[in-house]
Amino acid sequence: MGRKIDAPSGVRAVARYALALALVTLALSISLAFQNSIGNPFWFFFSAAVILSTWLGGTGPGWLAVIYSTLAVMYCFMPPLHSFAVTPRELPYFVTFVACEIGVTQLISWRRRTEDALRQARDELEVKVAERTIDLKNANEALLKQMDEQRRTEETLQATRAELARATRITTIGELTASIAHEVNQPLAAVVANADACVAWLARETPDLAEARTAAERATQGATRASEVIARIRSLITKATPEKSRVQINRVIEQTAALAERQAANNHVTIRLELSPDLPIVFGDSIQLQQVILNLVVNGIEAMTTVTDRPKMLVLRTEPESKCQIRVSVQDSGIGLTEEVKGRLFEPFFTTRAKGMGMGLSISRSIIEAHGGRLWAESNGSDGATFQFTVPSEDSPGI
Amino acid sequence: MKEQDPIVFVIDDDRMIRDGLQSLIRSVGLRVETFASAQDFLGAKRPDAPACLVLDVRMPGLSGLDLQLKLRDDGIPIPIIFITGHGDIPMSVRAMKEGAHEFLTKPVRGQDLLDSVQKALASDRALRRERREANEIRARFESLTPREKEVLELVVAGLLNKQIADQLGMSELTVKTHRAHVMEKTQAESLAHLVRMSERLKTATRKSGSTSS
Repeated sequence: MGRKIDAPSGVRAVARYALALALVTLALSISLAFQNSIGNPFWFFFSAAVILSTWLGGTGPGWLAVIYSTLAVMYCFMPPLHSFAVTPRELPYFVTFVACEIGVTQLISWRRRTEDALRQARDELEVKVAERTIDLKNANEALLKQMDEQRRTEETLQATRAELARATRITTIGELTASIAHEVNQPLAAVVANADACVAWLARETPDLAEARTAAERATQGATRASEVIARIRSLITKATPEKSRVQINRVIEQTAALAERQAANNHVTIRLELSPDLPIVFGDSIQLQQVILNLVVNGIEAMTTVTDRPKMLVLRTEPESKCQIRVSVQDSGIGLTEEVKGRLFEPFFTTRAKGMGMGLSISRSIIEAHGGRLWAESNGSDGATFQFTVPSEDSPGI
Repeated sequence: MKEQDPIVFVIDDDRMIRDGLQSLIRSVGLRVETFASAQDFLGAKRPDAPACLVLDVRMPGLSGLDLQLKLRDDGIPIPIIFITGHGDIPMSVRAMKEGAHEFLTKPVRGQDLLDSVQKALASDRALRRERREANEIRARFESLTPREKEVLELVVAGLLNKQIADQLGMSELTVKTHRAHVMEKTQAESLAHLVRMSERLKTATRKSGSTSS
């Protein structure tokens, strides 16, 4: 045993040996008391004393108990009595007793050692398990943190991508406009040149009708070409269908809110999301839908810039409109809509802002209508406006 | 010498515009030649007549601005009226700096173009006359002997006969004779006229090396 015994080991060792002596003495007295009523009782009592001494005290006290018992039995119970000698006739019997006692103490001390080793192993295991648990917990936390970071990175990426797509679209519109302008301007220049030539031929002292006619015909050709260019552009735009995929509208709204967060904070506007948790999936162009929502959010924020008498609150809400329709509303507490403004809201180039182009709502409405939905505005009385749109869900008929 | 009729060159890659401009310019009685590209124009034979160029800036191949630089480098002075669909400022500034006569935006008003063409032709006519006169003067001056040229230089520099005689190491009488020859050969009516012609020749030489006409 031994390894677990510590600081006051001297005192404890003495106590253990004393215990062994006491136990054997007790066994001796009981054996002496009962030696006439039961035959050879010492077997039992001394064995018990050795077992207990070994179990409680360890190998050393066990051996002490064995030696003490052997001497006691030799002295008190083996003939010749009251001497430390054994008659040859009793020798095998005595040797058997001693062997038994030794065997018992060996067995018990082995058992004891095994148990101690086991306990120690268990203790060590427990420590190890505790250590491992802490390691695992740390690893888990790191993993969670990493996952969180990754999610955030992904969101940023998504937002950046959307922003980029928007920028690209705007650039494309700019380039497209320049190209369209050139394509239309060219035939118009031909029309003007030829019409001017026609007038000039007619204005001569003797009008040259043949030349005037040729010029007029060319002017007509130019005008026809211009209208062809416009028809071509129109068909081009109509064919440009949105890139549709399965869209979780709540996710789009969360991303959009994140995009608008800074602008909202700069204008002291609080954005609140009231998103219905069980919405069907929408089949649409997530970037276009985000563009619409962002446009409504920015409009809402700007409608509240002059508000001072109430909290500036922008609520983004989603709810199922019907079985196969989702409704998204953007509610502000801004200046609201006059009847006149409300009537013209969705007209192209209509704006109430100094720097506005007046295209946002008009484009937003055409996007929503291309998705098979509706976009409209309502006044909240004297306290702001609510813009809302519906979009059909993935499994609505006709999608 | 009777001058040839003026001519307007129109370069535009768009046939309909080209024909329209040609018709328009023809209607006021001007000669017109059209080209679909700058390369075609450079490859064509140009008559010796007052001319101007109506040039589209945006063309495939050699652009209008490229042609302007090429003509300048080749020493072909011809007034250019630029026509552009998207008259951006840096481009017009560049064209005007390189000596463009006019910069018009598409669609061009007929009257604006005709006015510009007339002005450009007038300016070319004046330039041509100036060049021709300069050439005539040069021819006269070049008929002088080396000695006469030396005397001319000093006369024009304002020296008196006596001083010229001293400087060139000849008698005053010889100087007088040379001087008379100079006045006769250059057809100078007075000393002032001679000085003017000499100055003009110098300016023309400085301006454009030797321009053939």
